[in-house]
Amino acid sequence: MVVFYAPKQGNDEREWEDGAAGSCGDPSTGRNPRFAVADGATEAFGSARWAEQLVAGFVGLGQPDDCAEPPGLRRDAVHGWLELMQARWHQDPRAAGATDLERLKLARVGSFATLLGCELSGLDGPQPRWDAVALGDTVLFHVRNHDLVTQFPRIAAEEFGVNPDGVPTKPGGLSGAVDRLADDGGQLAAGDRLYLATDALAQWMVVAHQRGPRSLWNALATLDHPAKFRNLVADRRRADEMKNDDVTLMRVHLLATQPTHLVVCR
Amino acid sequence: MYDGMYRQPVSRPDPGCIVILLDRSDSMKAPWAGTGASLAEGAALVLNNILLDLCITATKEVNAPVRHYFDVGVFGYGARVTTPDEGVESAFGGPLAGRGLVPLPELANNPLAVREEPSVDQMSVSAKIPIWVEPVRGYRTPMCEAIAVAGGHVFDWADAHPNSFPPIVINITDGMVTDSPYDGVALSEWVTRLTAIETRDGPTLFFNVFLSPTQAPEIIFPTNPAGLPAPGPDLFAMSSPLPHPMVENARADGLDVRPGARGLAFNVGRSTLLKILQIGTRVPDRSF
Repeated sequence: MVVFYAPKQGNDEREWEDGAAGSCGDPSTGRNPRFAVADGATEAFGSARWAEQLVAGFVGLGQPDDCAEPPGLRRDAVHGWLELMQARWHQDPRAAGATDLERLKLARVGSFATLLGCELSGLDGPQPRWDAVALGDTVLFHVRNHDLVTQFPRIAAEEFGVNPDGVPTKPGGLSGAVDRLADDGGQLAAGDRLYLATDALAQWMVVAHQRGPRSLWNALATLDHPAKFRNLVADRRRADEMKNDDVTLMRVHLLATQPTHLVVCR
Repeated sequence: MYDGMYRQPVSRPDPGCIVILLDRSDSMKAPWAGTGASLAEGAALVLNNILLDLCITATKEVNAPVRHYFDVGVFGYGARVTTPDEGVESAFGGPLAGRGLVPLPELANNPLAVREEPSVDQMSVSAKIPIWVEPVRGYRTPMCEAIAVAGGHVFDWADAHPNSFPPIVINITDGMVTDSPYDGVALSEWVTRLTAIETRDGPTLFFNVFLSPTQAPEIIFPTNPAGLPAPGPDLFAMSSPLPHPMVENARADGLDVRPGARGLAFNVGRSTLLKILQIGTRVPDRSF
C-alpha cells in the first residue's frame, strides 16, 4: 500500500483535509486487511481531524483503550459505529481550548466528510475478494492488467461535486446519510491494484480512463515517488483537467509473494 | 451582460470586499412590524448576524486563525456618534471604532461586545453573539455622501486587489436621499462613479435594500421598476444586475430569480434582510 497526496494549490501542507489509513490486519485475531480514504469538507470545521478519525477508526488504528471496534460492512453495523465516532468527535479534548467563535462554528456547522472503506478477505484462499462501503464521491477503482474491472461508486465525470453524500458530526443527519450508504465487492487476483481516490482526482481518473485507459493505469501503477505524483497533479491542474482541491490517491497492490524492498519517503 | 465576469473565488491570496452602508436617519426609530424593535435595532441585529456568519465561515479549526477571506466595512449615514451632527462615519465600535475596511480576522478578534441577542427570525432562542455595530438614528439621509465615502475606500481596495472578486456594496435604507446633489454631483452620478471602480473580474456591485416599518408585500430582485412605490424606481435604476453566483445563491434559497433581475429588495422584513445579505455576500467557492 502506498498513499500519495497533495494539498489544494495555495494552501499549506498542514491544511490538507483528506484522510487515508491502511492496516494489514491481524491473522491471530481474524482481522482482515482494511483500507480507507476520506475527504473532509472545506466549509466545515475541523475537517482534517474528522477525516483522520474516520479512516483510522475504520481500519482499526485506534487508541489502546479504544472501545470502538472497526465496523462490519453491514448498514446497521456501520450506523452504530458512526454513532460512536460522532460521540468521540464531540469529546475530542483538542476542542477544549476552542474560542467562542470556534464553538459557534462547531455547534452550527460541525464537520463533514466523505468516506470509502474497503476490506480484503480470503487472501490465503482460492477466492480472495474486496468488499467496500462508501458515502460520497471518494472512489475505488479495481484494476487488473491495466484494465478497469470495477469503479465503485459508479459516478460519471459530470456528477462529481453535486451535493456529495458524507458523514456529518451532527447526530441529526446520520440516519439519512447511512440510508444512502453504497456497497460493492469483487473477486481479486494476484497482481490486481485497487486505487482509492478523493473526488478531484477521481473525477480526472474517470475522464482519463475514457480517453486512454492503458495510459492512465500504467501511469498510476508506475508512480514511485511523491514528487512524481505532485508533478502529475500540478500538470493536470494547469491544464484545467483537475479541480483545485486536496487530492489523495491510495494504491493497494496485491502480490503473490512478499515484497523484497520497503521504501519510505519523507 | 456579465459574460466571463464575477467568476473569481474569494481566497486568502485574493480576498473579497464587502461594504455595508447603513441608514441612520431619524426615521429608523420607527417600530419594525412584527419584531418588537425599531428599524435601527433590527438592522443592527441583522448586520451583527451577517458579520458573524462571515467570521464563522472563515473559521476552520481549533486554534487556527480566522481566514482572511474578506475585508469588511460598515458605514452609517445620518446621525454620527463621534461628533453629534449629521454625516457619514464608520459604524464599528469598540477597538475598531473609526476603522474603514477591516480584514476579517481582525474583525473576528475585536467585537465591541459579546452579549445575549434575540434571534433574527424569532423562531429560535436568543444566543450570546459578538456585536460590532450598535443601533444609532437621528438627522436626515446623506446617502450621496455615504456612497462617496464608500467609493474612496473601494477605489483604494480595488487598486490593491486587482485579481479579486469585485467589491460588493450593499445600501440599507428606509427613506429618500436628502443630500442630492452632494458636492455638486447627483446621487445617480455618485453611484455611476462607485460602480465604475473595478477589478479584473468586473465592476463594483451596488445593491439596495429598502426597509418598510409596516408589513407590506416584499419585492425581491425585480426585473423592472413597474409597480414599485417611491423611492423604488430610483433604487432600481441604481442597483446592479445580479451576477450569476448570486442568482444561483438566490435560487438555492428558493427565490424565483428571472434574467435581468436587479440587486434590489423592497419593503423587506427583518428575516428577509438577513437572507438578502447572505445571498449578496456568498461569492464563488471559497477555495483557500
